[in-house]
Amino acid sequence: MRAACLAIGIFVLLWGAGIGAKDFQFPEFTGWKLSGEIQTFDPKTLYEYIDGAADLYLAYDFEELKVAEYQNDRKANVTVDVYRHKTPYDAFGIYSQERLPSANYNDIGIQGYSEKEILNFLAGTSYVKITGFKIESEDILTSFAKKVAENLGEKGSLPSLLASFPREGKVKNSEKYVTKNFLGYSFLHSAFTADYEITGRKFKLFIMEFGDKSECANMIQKYLEQTGKRREVVTETGYTISDPHHGPIDLIWRGNYIWGVLNMDNPDLRLKYLKLFGEELKKK
Amino acid sequence: MGKKMIDRRNFMKSTLAGLGGFFVLPSIDKKQEIKIVEAKGKERKLVYRTLGKTGLKLPVINMGVMLTDNPNLIRAALDSGILLLDTAYGYMGGRNEEVIGEVIKGRPRESYFIGSKVNLPQNRTTGLYIEGATTEEFLKRLDLSLKRLGIDYVDILYQHGVTRKESVAFEPVLKAFDKAKKDGKIRFTGISTHGNEPEVIHAVTDSKAYDVILTAYNFKQKHYAEVRNAIAKASQAGIGIVGMKAIRGGYQQPPTVRNITASLKWILQDPNVHTVVTGFTTFEQMEIDLSIMEDLTLTEPEKIELQKEASLPGLYCQGCRQCLGQCVQNLPIPDLMRAYMYIYDYRNLSMAQDLVVSLGLPFEVCGDCSFCPVKCSIGFKVKEKIQDVVKIRGVPSEFVA
Repeated sequence: MRAACLAIGIFVLLWGAGIGAKDFQFPEFTGWKLSGEIQTFDPKTLYEYIDGAADLYLAYDFEELKVAEYQNDRKANVTVDVYRHKTPYDAFGIYSQERLPSANYNDIGIQGYSEKEILNFLAGTSYVKITGFKIESEDILTSFAKKVAENLGEKGSLPSLLASFPREGKVKNSEKYVTKNFLGYSFLHSAFTADYEITGRKFKLFIMEFGDKSECANMIQKYLEQTGKRREVVTETGYTISDPHHGPIDLIWRGNYIWGVLNMDNPDLRLKYLKLFGEELKKK
Repeated sequence: MGKKMIDRRNFMKSTLAGLGGFFVLPSIDKKQEIKIVEAKGKERKLVYRTLGKTGLKLPVINMGVMLTDNPNLIRAALDSGILLLDTAYGYMGGRNEEVIGEVIKGRPRESYFIGSKVNLPQNRTTGLYIEGATTEEFLKRLDLSLKRLGIDYVDILYQHGVTRKESVAFEPVLKAFDKAKKDGKIRFTGISTHGNEPEVIHAVTDSKAYDVILTAYNFKQKHYAEVRNAIAKASQAGIGIVGMKAIRGGYQQPPTVRNITASLKWILQDPNVHTVVTGFTTFEQMEIDLSIMEDLTLTEPEKIELQKEASLPGLYCQGCRQCLGQCVQNLPIPDLMRAYMYIYDYRNLSMAQDLVVSLGLPFEVCGDCSFCPVKCSIGFKVKEKIQDVVKIRGVPSEFVA
């Protein structure tokens, strides 16, 4: 019976669009030795390693963490954490939740950044965090990161939708991927967001991608219903939602996309950015 | 007869019959009060309890902020009567504290409470602190937390993620707490634990060095009765008890508990739990929590549902590791059971295959054994599952990727 289930399971996955397993191996580094065994954590044990922070990783479909600790003759330590998520979007999502726009960025993997004794980077479905202790220079972390990136293989690229965000006023490296419950509503699934600042005004743009138009219509209906403004028919056009928690939100639905502006009380500026967003999307 | 007794005892652990005192708890009436809270024109009567010797009066549910960076959700929580925001130095790489800082900016400092946590380098196998875990590092991290939050002090500062009694009395942290208290950077000291909780809680009570314990506590813990007893002793010693993981990811998809409301009410039946932090991420979930805060009574259908769920034997290995050393081939049974879970729970064959291959198993697994001596604590037929899961070795990797 179990064998039959196993066979069925294999076929289910063959039909699915699952991401292939990364046969990642930790590299060797001249002058450094692995200290202890490589540790592996799964969704049920991640708490043992990162405590309550695990919840957010689980929300981004975390699959597995491998941890290696290296030590040199001078008793300096480097810890390499390789978090693997289900999809590149998930990996970008958790990476984007933790990156700080003000950090020092580099081009390791798809993108990386460093702070004192820390270097984090994104590559495909992996989010890698490298931490040094008593290291002589930050360059050590960079050389570790480059080798780990090599062993991870294809680095992939940032989600293509990010290129649609208008450039004017965008805060560099502020783009995020929210995996579900966008804006605090269960009927809004995932979204990409970016922060903006124009002459001291801070606001946010967002975009949601759907499988088809009926999903878009359904979502607009639910959002209107939430604010007591249900319509019998919704069409591909602009909407102003009087959100009880977020204030006025202007949205545009076109094709399989809905995009909008948050935290901006100036209607002219809202309109300008919605238009800019639409123009960038057309180039996609 | 002896064998039968062992089997029965193990069976009882995973059934309702083994869950002695599942609902039988002391009266909660004497230890709580009702406060009327008005939010957006709506009046609510929320149940409040006092957080032990800290004297902080808190609603029975507060907000664990770790899963959200939505400032308007946090604002709505505070405006609805929630008082305590629970965060940590490490959540979202520090951004979680920054978002809270944005929300509380301009609010009267006495109108909310902040609980944050600082961790120090630990050996994750032993759970003990390692080199680099110093008073200076702890205080440096606290200062960074305060800067991100934009406040001069936190109400509760927890030593984060403690699983060993040795860490409870770790001198560098205790020194850091003393200094931070003297400098006015923290009001109360705390410890957080979600592994080996009873040992940690007992050590905290004995140490007399802490004001608050933040602990995992839910009806699905195999050792929930031990956690309950440890909490009771700590509470009697005046330590404030904050519950977490009360619904074990109930707001995740798929949820790990079936009835979130009943699960939350279950923990709040314990009068020694003064409040619970939940990681809601939607306004709807927040409303559910607020409605529970108005009425903690477990309804009969909720009780039945909890009983049913508590009595379900686990479908997957609980990781108790009691089977280690029982197999004559010395097979790594917990790892094989994890691979089994990857196949049938996660439906991730590649993860399962990676794991099974990495274990370096003999070619013939279980082949020489007509009788399996392994006794699983929750009654799994271990041999059957192992023989099933090792078949994944023979599947070409391109078919499971």
